[in-house]
Amino acid sequence: MASRVALKGKGKTTKGSKASDDRSTAKCLKEWSTWTLKKAKVIAHYGFIPLVIVIGMNSEPKPQLSQLLSPV
Amino acid sequence: MTGLVPPPPISSSTSTAPATTNTAKMEEERVDYMNLPCPIPYEEIHREALMSLKPELFEGMRFDFTKGLNQKFSLSHSVFMGPTEIPSQSSETIKIPTAHYEFGANFIDPKLMLFGRILTDGRLNARLKCDLTENLALKANAQLTNEPHMSHGMVNFDYKGKDYRTQFQLGNGALFGANYIQSVTPHLSLGGEVFWAGQHRKSGIGYAARYNTDKMVATGQIASTGMVALSYVQKVSEKVSLASDLMYNYMSRDVTASFGYDYILRQCHLRGKIDSNGCTAAFLEERLNMGLNFILSAEVRINSCFPLSCNNPPPLRNKTSPNLLFYPAQLISEH
Repeated sequence: MASRVALKGKGKTTKGSKASDDRSTAKCLKEWSTWTLKKAKVIAHYGFIPLVIVIGMNSEPKPQLSQLLSPV
Repeated sequence: MTGLVPPPPISSSTSTAPATTNTAKMEEERVDYMNLPCPIPYEEIHREALMSLKPELFEGMRFDFTKGLNQKFSLSHSVFMGPTEIPSQSSETIKIPTAHYEFGANFIDPKLMLFGRILTDGRLNARLKCDLTENLALKANAQLTNEPHMSHGMVNFDYKGKDYRTQFQLGNGALFGANYIQSVTPHLSLGGEVFWAGQHRKSGIGYAARYNTDKMVATGQIASTGMVALSYVQKVSEKVSLASDLMYNYMSRDVTASFGYDYILRQCHLRGKIDSNGCTAAFLEERLNMGLNFILSAEVRINSCFPLSCNNPPPLRNKTSPNLLFYPAQLISEH
């Protein structure tokens, strides 16, 4: 009887630890995805216009760098 | 009895002239349901009505200069000076004068389109459209700011089938949306959409229908958010079209009807509209020279001054004069 109680108690703790494991992996995943989205937002904010300029300067026919900077 | 007999073939030389014209007409009228045209995208269902009735009215002065470096790539510089509305608690709108410079870069290719605009206060407006395969397109759109929690982004995947189109949207703040539109006859197309906004805990479903012929377009849209929108556009001639529109919200019992015209002439494009809120607007876009466009926009709003019920005390300020909002010129120049 004591062993049964002990077994029951053990079952509960393993189930409890498994649930907390699941929760912590979900939390970990959420934190990691939030971190990536924040970084992606900063990269997009600073890098989008330079990306468009680089793609444009490499398209055919290649424009000159002076044309990029001069107003005429 | 005559209806059950199939019509004789057109090439038969024994048929008389009136009979051949009748059979030709019957051939035309017999619809090929396997070859229906592809419908227009769901978000553009009100396109003709919006073009006439919702021109991009603006306030202040703006100068736009676009410099093309090659066929596909161009830079744009834009200066704007004018009042901008800021949200306020009271019913009065507060406008403060602002001025800013906006730098933009565009890359337009048949398969890839990139559009970016950045303002002096750090706000970035970016759009991307990419054709992944012949039928699948990816579109993304973002407004990024330096302030936290004020940025928005949305990604759309569009699939174009033979006579249907479907789109799936993903946005920030756990926004999911999907829509589908199908051509049912050569003139009629029906569609539906569903969206779910996690952050605001809202979801909705909507249906739309569009009937168009060469001379007219009629659309109707109803959504579970309470909005019913009906519009009708009639093309009176090559250059003139008239449009009318009714928006009804059955949750808040709010109705707005508007009526407008659209003149597309050789050198200019003139649009005007009048609203049931007492709002009249006009928008003129004129091509002064090759590469130089001039835009003039005006809106007059007449406020009603009658109190709504006898029990309430009369309002302190009785506006009897029309509230005139005049938006002067905008110059756009392309190099």
